[in-house]
Amino acid sequence: MPPLMEVDDLRMHFFTRDGVVKAVDGVSFALEAGQTLGMVGESGSGKSVTALSLMRLVPEPPGKVVSGDIRFKGESILRMSEKEQGRLRGDRIAMIFQDPMTSLNPVHRIGRQIAEPLRLHKGASKKEAWGAAVELLAQVGIPQPAERAWDYPHEFSGGMRQRAMIAMALACDPEVLIADEPTTALDVTIQAQILELMREIQARTGSAIIMISHDLGVVADIADHVLVMYAGKAVEFGAADEVFCRPLHPYTWGLLESLPRHDADDGGRLSPIKGQPPSLINLPSGCAFSPRCAYATERCCSEAPHLVEIDSGHSSACHFSADKDFLNRSPHSATGKL
Amino acid sequence: MAEAPEQIPGERSARGAGTDSSMGRPPLSIAESVGKGRTLRGDAWRRLRKNRLAVAGLVWVAIMVLLAVSADLWVPRYLGDPVDIDTTQAASQSLQPPSWDHLLGTDRMSRDIASRIIYGARASLLVGAVAVGIMLVIGLVMGAVAAYYGGIWDSIIMRAADIFLAFPYVLFAIVLVGVMGGGSPTNVFLAIGLLGWPGIARIFRGSVLAVRENEYVDAARAMGASTPRILFRHIMPNAIAPLVVYATMSIGVAILAEAALSFLGMGVQPPAPSWGGMLSEARGYLFTAPWLMVYPGIGILTTVLAFVLLGDGLRDALDVRKKE
Repeated sequence: MPPLMEVDDLRMHFFTRDGVVKAVDGVSFALEAGQTLGMVGESGSGKSVTALSLMRLVPEPPGKVVSGDIRFKGESILRMSEKEQGRLRGDRIAMIFQDPMTSLNPVHRIGRQIAEPLRLHKGASKKEAWGAAVELLAQVGIPQPAERAWDYPHEFSGGMRQRAMIAMALACDPEVLIADEPTTALDVTIQAQILELMREIQARTGSAIIMISHDLGVVADIADHVLVMYAGKAVEFGAADEVFCRPLHPYTWGLLESLPRHDADDGGRLSPIKGQPPSLINLPSGCAFSPRCAYATERCCSEAPHLVEIDSGHSSACHFSADKDFLNRSPHSATGKL
Repeated sequence: MAEAPEQIPGERSARGAGTDSSMGRPPLSIAESVGKGRTLRGDAWRRLRKNRLAVAGLVWVAIMVLLAVSADLWVPRYLGDPVDIDTTQAASQSLQPPSWDHLLGTDRMSRDIASRIIYGARASLLVGAVAVGIMLVIGLVMGAVAAYYGGIWDSIIMRAADIFLAFPYVLFAIVLVGVMGGGSPTNVFLAIGLLGWPGIARIFRGSVLAVRENEYVDAARAMGASTPRILFRHIMPNAIAPLVVYATMSIGVAILAEAALSFLGMGVQPPAPSWGGMLSEARGYLFTAPWLMVYPGIGILTTVLAFVLLGDGLRDALDVRKKE
């Protein structure tokens, strides 16, 4: 049986006046029911474009899938008609957006917005859909759901709106839930609540979750597998424990190092990754991370590394990931953090 | 997933049963929803009420509409017929100044001017409403298509709009009269409506382009909504506010245009009453019977002003940034 969702060497390029932006350039992963995949990386590393590609929400043109495939239960989403894709979207694959303040339509009542996917996909009557929307609001922890369903979005707080967004995404019991930085716009206590809610939902419905975040804490919290992206490419992929405890790629080391830590022994200074992510139009030759990598050699600047499986199920796109001595130089292995 | 079909109906009935109380609730009226919490419309209505000029405009428009709509019920009986000439006393009643018998005086044909003004209001408001209706239908579709599909459609529609903007509506009305024969209100609202859409289309296009960038439009696509549904259910309601203002003011402009065309003899034809037509007839009596000219003039002035003031007030009321 094919995996629930499978992305195979996806390349989504944007053809702009300034050149070709390789926003996603060779990303592959597979997702099984009940699993959570975390996607991490800096801003502009291609996480969101990957997510939007899965939903076929990237405007084309300027975007274009240059190669690769996205399969849902073995069937290529890319080859489906617009109509078939529409049937999948919101029903089998649903998405939670980053900013709950702008992702709800200000002129419609909350209840009606949550009811809309049910009206679209399940042919529910207005009354049935409204009743279901109230039930969904209760499920995501909105108090007095029957009353609050009559509210407009501006009468909800940020956390409540994100709950409403989640309720909307859950309306049709999707098999894949894509969450694009669902907690970024929320404050920390609400973040924890929302993550807890998503975990609960997954336990109950068994849906697969793709969690996109630049917050490693969030991903560590919820993901089974982690995909680290840099400049449109997957640089490290593996089980969450593996990636966080034995990271193989220097970029992942950098990400982990730049986290604020309460037990820091170096005077509380953060150690960010130096430099800026490269322009996706003009990628450096060789390894895209080489200009910022403290361990880069001449080989890194001329020869691009491929994602290679190092341990079972744990792969990395670095020439030296298989080198035990090299890994021992990681700041990580020395201190054994996280 | 095999369990999905079974699960949904079961869930539905459970959900339905638990929420009967909420379903029994009728849709909230504006007044109720203001009491309940803030709504966009409730807010706008409160801001509008604070603006005295806008309220004055609204009241005046309401009075005019009421007079025009109810005219058949009482005007012919109490004020006199606006069109028919009472031949028995035509001579003695001609060109009477305002008096208790004829509040606003009589015209050359001894018809009551108050009666003709009220029926003239009917013609003016009808032309205003229908012309703006035509403008809206064409303008909204054109603007929405231009904005949402963009590219070649955008270019074609916006260039067409430019061409239409360059058309003088008086000439267009003359052509219509020539083609359709005879002057009638139909020519007037066709002329104004067919030439007025570019303004609406441009405003709506800009508004849709701005609204389209919002994340809730992506969210709607992500839930599987089709393009027309997104356009009509998610974008249009958010893009409509500036148009409410423009359309309100356009009614005033259309009334003015109707008066001008009727004055020139291309609109409503005598003996049917219209403000422009009455002004035209009054030209010869400017000094001997000035009331012939004054009252239709006041009618045009106050009604157009009322629509403009109302539109102005709506602009302020619908501006969310003005939330106090």
